[in-house]
Amino acid sequence: MDMLRKWAFEQKTMTAFLFVSSVLTGAMMIGQAYFFVTIVDGVFLKEQSFQDIMPLLWGLLAVMLVRVVLSYLNGRTGVTMASNVKRKVRRMLLEKLTRNPIQTALAGQSGGKVSVMMDAVDEIDSYYSKYIPQVIQTSIVPLMILAVVLYEHVYSGLIMIITAPFIPLFFIIVGMKTKAKSEEQLDKLAAFSGRFLDTLQGLTTLKLFGRAIKQRELIEQSSLDFRDATMTILKIAFISTLMLEFISTLSIGLIALEVGLRLVVFESIDFSTAFFVLVLAPEFYLSLKELGSAFHTGRGSMGAAKKVMDELEETDQPVHWGTDLVVNPSIELRHASFQYGDGFSLKNVNATIPPNTQMAIVGQTGSGKTTLLHLIAGLFDPSEGNVLVNGRPRSDYSETSWFDQLSYISQHPYLFSGTIADNIAIGGAKEVLRADIEAAAKKAGISDLIQSFENGYDTPIGEGGRGLSGGEKQRIALARAFLKQPSIILFDEPTTGLDLKTEHILQQSMAELAKHSTVITVAHRLHTIKNADRILFLRNGEIFASGTHMELLETSVGYREMVLQQRGAAI
Amino acid sequence: MKDIMVVIKLMMAEKRDILFSILFGVLAGLTSVGLFAMSGYMIAKSALAPPLYIITIMTATLKMFGVAKSVSRYMERYFSHRATFTILSNLRVSFYEKLVPLAPGIFHQYRSGDLLARIVGDVESLQNFFLRVFYPPIVLVIVFLSTIFFTTFYSIYVALTLFIGLILTGFVVPALFALRQRKIDRQVREDRGALSTDVTELLYGFRDLKIYQKLDRKEQHLGQSADLYVNGQEREGIHAVFNQSVHTLVALIISWFVLALGAYLVTEGELAGLFLAMLVMISLTVFENAVPMALLPAHLEESRHAATRLFSVVEGESEEEKSATSSRLSNGKAYSMEMDGVSFAYPGEKRLTLENIQLNIVAGSKTAIVGPSGSGKSTVLQLLLNVYPASLGDIRLDGKQVDSLIQESIWERTNVVLQENHFFFGTIRENLMIAKEGLTDQEMKTALLNVQLDSFSLEDPIFEKGENLSGGEKQRLAIARAMLKSAHVWLLDEPTSSVDAVTEKKLYDQLFEAAKDDTLILVSHRLTGLEAMDQIIVMEKGTVIESGTFDELINKKGYFYEMKQIEKSVFI
Repeated sequence: MDMLRKWAFEQKTMTAFLFVSSVLTGAMMIGQAYFFVTIVDGVFLKEQSFQDIMPLLWGLLAVMLVRVVLSYLNGRTGVTMASNVKRKVRRMLLEKLTRNPIQTALAGQSGGKVSVMMDAVDEIDSYYSKYIPQVIQTSIVPLMILAVVLYEHVYSGLIMIITAPFIPLFFIIVGMKTKAKSEEQLDKLAAFSGRFLDTLQGLTTLKLFGRAIKQRELIEQSSLDFRDATMTILKIAFISTLMLEFISTLSIGLIALEVGLRLVVFESIDFSTAFFVLVLAPEFYLSLKELGSAFHTGRGSMGAAKKVMDELEETDQPVHWGTDLVVNPSIELRHASFQYGDGFSLKNVNATIPPNTQMAIVGQTGSGKTTLLHLIAGLFDPSEGNVLVNGRPRSDYSETSWFDQLSYISQHPYLFSGTIADNIAIGGAKEVLRADIEAAAKKAGISDLIQSFENGYDTPIGEGGRGLSGGEKQRIALARAFLKQPSIILFDEPTTGLDLKTEHILQQSMAELAKHSTVITVAHRLHTIKNADRILFLRNGEIFASGTHMELLETSVGYREMVLQQRGAAI
Repeated sequence: MKDIMVVIKLMMAEKRDILFSILFGVLAGLTSVGLFAMSGYMIAKSALAPPLYIITIMTATLKMFGVAKSVSRYMERYFSHRATFTILSNLRVSFYEKLVPLAPGIFHQYRSGDLLARIVGDVESLQNFFLRVFYPPIVLVIVFLSTIFFTTFYSIYVALTLFIGLILTGFVVPALFALRQRKIDRQVREDRGALSTDVTELLYGFRDLKIYQKLDRKEQHLGQSADLYVNGQEREGIHAVFNQSVHTLVALIISWFVLALGAYLVTEGELAGLFLAMLVMISLTVFENAVPMALLPAHLEESRHAATRLFSVVEGESEEEKSATSSRLSNGKAYSMEMDGVSFAYPGEKRLTLENIQLNIVAGSKTAIVGPSGSGKSTVLQLLLNVYPASLGDIRLDGKQVDSLIQESIWERTNVVLQENHFFFGTIRENLMIAKEGLTDQEMKTALLNVQLDSFSLEDPIFEKGENLSGGEKQRLAIARAMLKSAHVWLLDEPTSSVDAVTEKKLYDQLFEAAKDDTLILVSHRLTGLEAMDQIIVMEKGTVIESGTFDELINKKGYFYEMKQIEKSVFI
């Protein structure tokens, strides 16, 4: 809320313009009334000729034109202000979102962030395009009208001063009375609109249980309930509009009566003054009423603004980098800990990974295996302790040179919208030859599949493209690694669901890649574990034991139990 | 436009409310014109020093007009909004009725929940159709014509000017803007789609983008699409403001003409000066009724788009419904299932998901289908349920051709547990009650106990899509629901994939006990607990590559054997 206002007033020229144009609009309203009244007075009572009033008519036309132009510029300024803020907020969010998305993704909040970035930002719009211009206008125009009326005929002005406060007062009273009620109704509304979606999503289940036709009545019933609940809220809104109209009609009536009496009975004012006051009075109350509806629109933006603010206020855990180049890295974790929210954590991890090591990480689900892999990858800094590369803190090295050495093959590699070739090429340095891509695909055992597609390597995949199975995606990720030839490969081994062919390819390819690289695997295969130079056995975010498979079988009861349990479950 | 006609047809069911909306809309319009005409006349009359009682009477009439105007406006709003929400309800029901015969087949095409959410949104956005597109022009024309008729008593020229004003503000100006609106809207929609894709990719693909150092480029790209989108919206907004301003300008110029013309006629002595103020007040007020017309193009475009998208989902597909199929499966016993040379491709896909499948499932036997993900296991179940027709080959249930059977009669006779089971917002009881008419609490409690969910009570709430349940709990609840249905054929698609091994074993025991005399097909990703199966079918890439009993397959040392070896070596 405060932030929204701050962003508005940061755009100084725009807000200044809104003020100036509001003053001008007020002047034009008064001018319009003046010309109008003088013309009518001229031909009606003063019996002037058409020639005499011609200049006045032109004057009126000019005033009308200026008024329309001003309202256009006003609206345009609002839209521009809204666009500027939206642009700025999206940039801010973008910067924020790229700071810690791994943590976000792991906490399963990515969907919510997409909606903040898309919908919440859009909802801020009306605050600037409608609310702000209206507020500025309403804070100026009625005062100007009042001043003119006071000058022309002080008693009408006094009636305005006395009656005007009833409008905001009424807003406040109605607002207080209905707020609780309408909030309760709003909850109901949300539930109703969710119900229809719920039924559509569950249609398969309903049909399988022969309930689809019955549900029709439920949809109808809940839709009608939805209507009735909405009408309850709307009725409140309509009645408050009705009351406001009554207040303003009554006030205008009072003014008319007072002016009429003075004109007819006391003959203390002349026709043109009376008419002028009567033309201006509705404009005065109209602009006060408009503030009410603008307020309503503005409030809709508040919820959205809060979502955006919450996002922007979240604390960062940025990753620090330096400038040195990484060559032939050996990695050491020294008392490294990491904690995100009350979710996943790592505690006091110590490990040394010399170049060309085959390292396996094992442990139960939730023991922190993937978090450890991310920490090693440099996707976040440890909250305590150190990650050392060639004996120096990783933060001494440049980000580019570090990631140049690294590949990560996850269980669910992400495919970007683009062609298969694009998706493999993402692994390579700047310019990649098609021949290299094809060679990498071949090594990853996916070239036959790609060639079976009508468009081969140019087949679009990812969002809106062709779907690939889990095994196929992993082979694309393998191809990326073959193309990149990194010195460190992080590999999250698949748990299940692969066909035998992919199993063989994965084993062969990883063996091939391991010849020239350090491979750190979150291992699910006994085969991988047995071949590892060293195994980290994690439990509850801590290294419970480490060593080779044979060593661990001998020394660690927990490890032995886990292996035996596995055997037992599998047989 | 065809789709909008469908909406109009649905709308017409609410004739009464529509008539009331128009009636009160017209009343509100006319009383407000009357109010200002009266006040213009009154002030002019006052100048001529009439007797006091005239002023009193006129003031009273003025008040009456004022009250009548406010009240009619209120009534108009009330009825038009009520009509709108009733129409929305009709729309939902009608759309649902059209969608029912197409499910669940259609969900393959629209798998993402996103699209369903969009459908719901489309229905909501059609609320503007009646409210802002359909009835305001009718009200506008009636109010204008009545007003013009009234003014003809004073000056035919003024009446003509007003008529031209009606044509311009009511039709010409909105029509001119409608064309451009459509173009801008389409562009903005496309830009929004592009931005949404970029945001999604950045967040979900962050790790890969970061490691492959494409993050900066993506960020830049996202920044550009964000700007493109906002620029489009800005153009759209400015276009709307411009549209409104032009509209107001035309209305003001017409009123100016009325004044100039009136003034001229007064000076020429063809119009009494007394009426000049009134005529101009009429003109200024009557055009207020035309203000909503400025926004009509935008709302029309939005409604048209929503209607088209909405009905394109259910259109054309309904022709696929099979002609009079009347056969039903006989009641109350386990039936056999056969597939003979069945091939299948999903609608709109070239690639065959199943190729030349032979299956023979004897009534009362227990079969497991295993294989890697994507091998076509679930598709086999869907064909057996007649969710899709086979592209080639025969499917027979209880010896009858599946396409001669009424779909519902197959579902009535089977207990199905899908990979994704939907749970509705409500309580556990409500979700179990779906299974069969007249279930007692005791039966449901027993069912919960059977699936190791006795810690739940029947009153426990379930959130939308069962969000408050874990994957394993949902699967167990789905099994309980299937058990309560107590049909004699079971089709289970990975029913225990999220359940731990110990619980799985218990669930299997319960299931096999309940299905003792029934036909049962179990699709499984795990190879454990299959020893007692009468038949194991091994699939890969849409074909059956092996089948036999557990022992036969192990002794054969083929595909199944190798899968089993890998499974043994996999640590979870």
